[in-house]
Formats: sequence, structure tokens, C-alpha cells
Amino acid sequence: MLRVVIADDSRVMRQIVIRTLRQAGYDWEITEAADGALALEIVAAEQPDLVLSDWNMPNMTGIELLRALRASGDDVPFGFVTSEGSPEMRGEAEAAGALFLVAKPFTAESFRDVIEPVLA
Amino acid sequence: MSAIGIFDSVQLTAIAEEVFAAMVDGEPGLLLPWWDGPATVTDPLHAWVDLHASYTGRVLLTTDAATADDLARALLGMDAAEVVSEADLVDAFGEVANVVGGNLKALLPEQGKLTMPLVSRQPPSHEGAFQLDEVLLAWRGRPLVISVWNL
Repeated sequence: MLRVVIADDSRVMRQIVIRTLRQAGYDWEITEAADGALALEIVAAEQPDLVLSDWNMPNMTGIELLRALRASGDDVPFGFVTSEGSPEMRGEAEAAGALFLVAKPFTAESFRDVIEPVLA
Repeated sequence: MSAIGIFDSVQLTAIAEEVFAAMVDGEPGLLLPWWDGPATVTDPLHAWVDLHASYTGRVLLTTDAATADDLARALLGMDAAEVVSEADLVDAFGEVANVVGGNLKALLPEQGKLTMPLVSRQPPSHEGAFQLDEVLLAWRGRPLVISVWNL
């Protein structure tokens, strides 16, 4: 079973992401993080298979989290799930090493479209 | 015109409908334009995010607290009889404002920064601000107002 970290300061949004992942057929072991700093600690301790992160979070944003991971040599697969899906942010995410950016609101298909290539 | 003034009522409504269909209801058609004449929000709860670029804008959602309770229940998959905590109410309504604001921001030619959502029973101060647009919508028959401001 894949071990996945979901980082979002909104508990409601974490629940929606988990529910939508299940609807997409992904019955994964999920660890939740309420901000980027907590996610950084969890990823270092647990070495998950995938990180799904919000962008705009207190303490440490999603892009800061990704850059901190890459700077420490951690190449864990990383995707953003964020309310802002502008071309500029997609470019910034890709340049920092993200595999994908799913814009909220999302559907089960949104997740399948970006996650299936990662699992292949 | 302000940079944030490019939105029109049609875009505001379309984005809100998309957000509610995908995120809240799981199906389209439960958030619609309000056609029943004047609507009154008697026990208002407000949620907003601000956009900071060369301008400062605000996207503000207002609805009755009881409607926001039901929004939280819908988002969390709770039964109608379950009590919604204050933390979940604030989190849920704030996240709806965040997603609506984020989707509107994506339409702007200049990006800038979106603030964390704020939720309050008191409306935010609009001293010196002017309203650019407002749409009155009906979510499951109950009023929801979305307004865009230049601060």
C-alpha cells in the first residue's frame, strides 16, 4: 500500500482530498499535515511514496516545502493540490520539481489523470 | 478600471457554480442564480480572501450561519442532525472562499498573492473600498452573496 502525506492547513480540505482519492480508487495509507513545516518533519521521518500539498499554508508554504525537500536531497514524488492553478504557478511548481498541480475544485478524474502516470 | 474589475457577474456565477458542483455538492444544479426577488441574510457569516498585487482586491462570500453549517456538513459528509463545530464551520466556509478566490485570481493578467481566508460574523471593513461586482445566488434555495471589492 502506498504511503502518502497530505499537507493542507484546512482539515476540511484534507478530508475532501482523502475522500476524492478513495473515489478515484486509491486506498492509500494517509498521513495528514496541517502545514508545510509539519509536512517536512513527517516526510523526513516516514519517507512516504508521494506528497500531495496545498500551496498557501501558514508556517511553511507548499512551494517552500518542496524546495526544502529538494535542497535536502529528498526526491519524494510531489504534487500540488491548490486553489490557484495559474500558468505562472504551474511553471513555478514544475521548476521546483513538482510532478503535477491539481487545481481546486477537483474531481476523482482530476486525480486519476495526474496520478496514473506517476504510478506507471 | 481596477485590474480586479475584469470579472463580470457571469464569470463570478460560473466559477461559483463550478466550485460548488465539484467540491460541495458532487453534482451541478444546486447553486443557481437567485431569481426570487430580494433576499435577506438575517444571521450573516462572512468569509473572504484578499488579492495583493499592484492593486488590492477582495472576494467576499456572505450567507446565513445556518446555511454555512449545512455547507460544512456537505463538505465533511456529515448527517443533517450532526452538530458542526465552530472550527469546522470556519474552516469549511473559509475554504469555499479560498477556492472561489483562487479560481478568480487565476483569471487575472497579473498574479500576486492570495491571503489566507478569514471568517467572521462581522463584515470586513470596507472603508475606502468600492464594490466592483456582486452576485446573489441560491444554494439549495438559500441566499449566498459573492462580492468583489477594490480596496
